[in-house]
Amino acid sequence: MSVADRIFRGLFVLYLAAFALYLFAPLIIMSAAAFNESRFPTVIPWQGTTTDWFGAMSADRAMWRSLWTSVLVAACVVIVVVPVGTAAALVLTSLHARARSFAYAVMVSPLLTPGVVIGISTLILWRQLGVGGGVFLIVLAQSTFIICYVMLMVTARLQRFDRTQEEAALGLGASRGMVFRRVTLPFLKPALLASGGLAVLQSIENYNTTLFVRGFETPLTVFIATKVRTGLTPAVNALALVIIVATVLGAIAYEVARRRQAARPRA
Amino acid sequence: MSHSVELAQIGMTFGTTRAVSDVSFKVEQGEFFSILGPSGCGKTTILRMIAGFTEPTEGRVLIGGRDMKGLGPNQRPTAMIFQSLALFPLMPVWENIAFGLEARGVGKAERRRKADELLRLIALEGYGDRMPGELSGGQRQRVAIARALAVEPGVLLLDEPLSALDLKLRQHMRAELRALQKRTGVTFIYITHDQSEALAMSDRVAVMSAGLLQQVATPRELYDNPATAFVARFVGETNAISGRISDVQDGRARIDTALGILTGRAGQGARTGAQGTIYIRPEALMPGDPVNALDARIERVDFEGAFALVHGRFADGAALAASVPSTRLAEAPAPGAETRFGFAPEHAVVLGDA
Repeated sequence: MSVADRIFRGLFVLYLAAFALYLFAPLIIMSAAAFNESRFPTVIPWQGTTTDWFGAMSADRAMWRSLWTSVLVAACVVIVVVPVGTAAALVLTSLHARARSFAYAVMVSPLLTPGVVIGISTLILWRQLGVGGGVFLIVLAQSTFIICYVMLMVTARLQRFDRTQEEAALGLGASRGMVFRRVTLPFLKPALLASGGLAVLQSIENYNTTLFVRGFETPLTVFIATKVRTGLTPAVNALALVIIVATVLGAIAYEVARRRQAARPRA
Repeated sequence: MSHSVELAQIGMTFGTTRAVSDVSFKVEQGEFFSILGPSGCGKTTILRMIAGFTEPTEGRVLIGGRDMKGLGPNQRPTAMIFQSLALFPLMPVWENIAFGLEARGVGKAERRRKADELLRLIALEGYGDRMPGELSGGQRQRVAIARALAVEPGVLLLDEPLSALDLKLRQHMRAELRALQKRTGVTFIYITHDQSEALAMSDRVAVMSAGLLQQVATPRELYDNPATAFVARFVGETNAISGRISDVQDGRARIDTALGILTGRAGQGARTGAQGTIYIRPEALMPGDPVNALDARIERVDFEGAFALVHGRFADGAALAASVPSTRLAEAPAPGAETRFGFAPEHAVVLGDA
């Protein structure tokens, strides 16, 4: 290996390390703070190791309620955005070139609209119709832009889809419904699962849109933000750590299942 | 029910593009019928109109005498094999084959039985549980055929299904397709841009160019009696010499060309006084033949065993292609030499220029 190669390699490793540090340092510090006896979520000064905050977390009824609200909203959002976003993608890919670029611009525009604007305008519109803030409006407001992600992901998958498969199925006597169920849908399945997962994450972490349409509900992000003002304790860090661990375990379980499936010998 | 296919003056316009104009022909029940033409000539459009994927903007499609207007591809007695094959990649082979039966509500056990039977027919027994991605090109090809045959179609439509295969496999599949067609008695409509494929496999061939039907005939007749200049040039090789037709009598036409006065059979549009062209097949040109003498300079001789391909230029500069049997090769001197070729009038055809 030449000197130049060595230097290049060293720089590359350094870059990777810096990148990983930038990515994970906040998470590590945040997680560590969950074990600090300090009343504030911090690692400096370290006032002694404790697991009390996990107890405090599990005892915090208001936090559990807000988590439940977030999960309920996320579930409803998934139910709304996956079918609607998929339908939008199907329409988009079957349009002719010029109509397609116009429809694409219209459908993607919520992504470019500030979340605050989406929140406020949803609230104003539905207030006129006599509907106030609450879970229903949170779901609607979040769906407005989360649908775009679903549509983009499904569109990307559809672009790799050989549409003659649908024609072949039709030509073999299948009804439109059967073509969709047996040919199109199985092909889209990975994109649907992925976009469903993304929708859950987008929904749970959303703050700025949710804030305006929440009514008397307090989803997790709003709960935490409120706590920042009234005094945050490391119980929130404990909750975050639990969520991170659950996510990582979920990802590992999925990967293990996938590898098992791939390794399964064919009959 | 008979499964003849009749096209009555069909036409297709996409926006401002005229893809097919005024095409009429009838394919008989049980016939192996090819549509031959260069890419973009409208042949795939015709196939899609027969299958019901597109409705013609003019004219009618009749299958078994019944007008197919308004019937979708899932309501017609046709099955189509696509150029891309369009197998379902996420279904095992047997489900691919049995897909049409599934659409007809056939139970699973019966579907599996039928699929296994068809797998035997295409010599892929035991491949039912493989995925299409695990098969070779030729195997996938055969699965696509089995999938189409599973629904027992009256008419099988094939859109250049062999174009993705290598030469050897293609020739093998040609013979298999032809044998399969004879065995099943299904009407085959086969699309290709490969003239030797069309000539070798078909009972009859329709030649198309730029959306227009040029000729419908048996392979032999297409070759010997091309109806148009396009057919004469597209089907097989030919030597074309233009001139003025000076006499038409008893099925013979005399044409005055820059190379002399030549005589051939009178074809379409051959009228006294008209501008015309005489088309001579390479195998009709014989060195030293005194009839219809043509002087040419030989440029290259490719010896192929039974015959030799002789390339050269006529006295007026036009290209010469002759295929000379090895037994007559002695009369065709080496490259650079001047040689006189001739041909029997019955082996050439004179067509009026359009």
